[in-house]
Amino acid sequence: MVNNQDSGGCCIDLSQFGAGRGGDDIDMEDEEEVPRYLNTINSSGGFLMVSTDKLSVQYTNVNLHGHDVGVVQANCPAPVRRVVYYFEIFVKNAGAKGQIAIGFTTEQFKMRRQPGWEASSYGYHGDDGLLYRGQGKGEAFGPTFTSGDTIGGGINYASQELFFTKNGKLVGTVYKDVKGPLFPTVAVHSQNEEVNVNFGQQPFVFDIEAFALEERLKQQMMIEKISLPLHVSHWIVRSYLLHYGYQDTLNSFDMASKSTLPPIPVAQENGFNEQGEMYALGHRRILRQLIRSGDVDSAFGKLRDWYPQIVQNDTSTICFLLHSQKFIELVRAGELEQAVKYARAELAKFFGIKPLATLLQDCIALLAYEEPVKSSVGYLLDATQREVVADAVNAMVLSTNPNMKDSQNCLHSYLEKLLRQLTACCLERRSLNGDQGEAFHLHRVLQSGKGEK
Amino acid sequence: MSLFWIVMGQLAAADEEMSTSKKVITREEWEKKLNDVKVKKEDMNKLVMNFLVTEGYVEAAEKFRMESGTEPDIDLATITDRMAVKKAVQCGNVEDAIEKVNDLNPEILDTNPQLFFHLQQQRLIELIRNGKVEEALEFAQEELAPRGEENQSFLEELERTVALLAFEDVSNCPVGELLDISQRLKTASEVNAAILTSQSHEKDPKLPSLLKMLIWAQNQLDEKAVYPRINNLSTAALEDPAI
Repeated sequence: MVNNQDSGGCCIDLSQFGAGRGGDDIDMEDEEEVPRYLNTINSSGGFLMVSTDKLSVQYTNVNLHGHDVGVVQANCPAPVRRVVYYFEIFVKNAGAKGQIAIGFTTEQFKMRRQPGWEASSYGYHGDDGLLYRGQGKGEAFGPTFTSGDTIGGGINYASQELFFTKNGKLVGTVYKDVKGPLFPTVAVHSQNEEVNVNFGQQPFVFDIEAFALEERLKQQMMIEKISLPLHVSHWIVRSYLLHYGYQDTLNSFDMASKSTLPPIPVAQENGFNEQGEMYALGHRRILRQLIRSGDVDSAFGKLRDWYPQIVQNDTSTICFLLHSQKFIELVRAGELEQAVKYARAELAKFFGIKPLATLLQDCIALLAYEEPVKSSVGYLLDATQREVVADAVNAMVLSTNPNMKDSQNCLHSYLEKLLRQLTACCLERRSLNGDQGEAFHLHRVLQSGKGEK
Repeated sequence: MSLFWIVMGQLAAADEEMSTSKKVITREEWEKKLNDVKVKKEDMNKLVMNFLVTEGYVEAAEKFRMESGTEPDIDLATITDRMAVKKAVQCGNVEDAIEKVNDLNPEILDTNPQLFFHLQQQRLIELIRNGKVEEALEFAQEELAPRGEENQSFLEELERTVALLAFEDVSNCPVGELLDISQRLKTASEVNAAILTSQSHEKDPKLPSLLKMLIWAQNQLDEKAVYPRINNLSTAALEDPAI
């Protein structure tokens, strides 16, 4: 994190503004390894045969001793950072006795016993339809299953339950008291039993998406029941408009809500204090407009007139952002010669400053491409980059407010603070919960709901 | 003797559970976690636009589009139409409102018998309010009674509304609340929601849900940790954990 003490004590941290190759951190969820095939290394080798594609298993022996079960686990444990995990087996041949089982076991599982016959394991058995979870005796659970049936096993992280399905219908659930990684497990025990496994490579018979959606909705419904202080959304939106200097919008907004909302002084009693944000509203609006339209020169001019202290130090981060944006605009306009001149005059001095190095490098790299928009540094030509600079200028202007109590306030709007708190709480809660379940993603929330209801 | 040990074991377990302390997260640690969260300006803009659009602030949405470059998720023209309907109901011009809704999308009233009944009921209320007794009776008998026959709850509503006619001094009658402006607002809100739904748009803005989620997430985390909370949504101020 960069601490660049610009005037006014406002620290602009470039990473705060998301500067850099726009990486979506939504992919964090997909970093977990997902079971894809059966583990042939630790399976009970002598009693079963796993096909070459590692997705089928057959009992090859005739022995039916209780310690001669043909058990095989998936190549890795079920991923946890999601609402549910699910896999299915198809019973190709129930063999002599149909003693097929599907379930979950831990890494230490004794690989010659049916899942569920040992502690810390779960198994739904086809011959008796019972659920075994750590004891020799099973519990009544569901129907038996045999050749031609598709049986599914899953983990519901939201409710902390395991669940099983038969031919697309939910059979039942059981509480998951085993903490720690669980391996999808399949077992065969009598002559000629043969089972195919599907870890998601093929569509599932059971509608797992609908199931996951249902879980999410359950949680959503619970959350909807919570009550909010009156009009709080309205004030947060208003704060947002004030903070970033969207003056025209703010005026329209205030006009339209005159009839329905209490006047501002009343609201202030209730804790809505926007004195700080009203500061320099007109100026901030103009500056944002200029930068959004690409007119960096005028923005610089206005800043020198109105807030010279901000641009006083020519090697400050804010000056870098403005100069780099000017450079980008020149590249956008195709004025490459001018761009080079400008870079030599204004950008060269930033080369020594470590935190700015990546951004600077990316900017200069624009020159290397005939069609910079299509390059890996093309993101700089996006409108969002102008937004980054506009937000930085906005923060700097706010920081010149002599009445500013907390300098951090100029960096983040209330809305942003609330969203960060929400994300951090969800992540922490998940982490304290064995990392199980979904985290919060604003992006996903914004995408959802389109014609869903 | 073994019973003794069982009890001792249970007492020990209970004791352990009570002294299982929650994880304590200091202000500094928490702020670091907060700083690791990146919220895209673009997403926040979308959230605000979604609020303006769903709540019907057409002009503000238009201005916001210009000032921020955020595209609204529905056609702003449809908001104007929707707001016109809402306003018509709020002013008591129900006939006008019904016409406008049908112009917008004739299926809305066709597929929403309850909404249509409430609009007709509002029409009746307005006739009564304006003292047009004969017209009101005719309207009730011709338009509303047939609907009442199909549906028990409609019939009850109809009877309640007609009861208004029986009183000289409506401010004191038991169903006087029907003449209140809140009744108009209720109907207006119902129409607004129906139009939004017909446009495959969620009828509620996303922001309040997120705020509720924040409250919920903090409550959930309270069970396992002590950390700086935001107790006042309107100031978003972090309050240090009480130790």
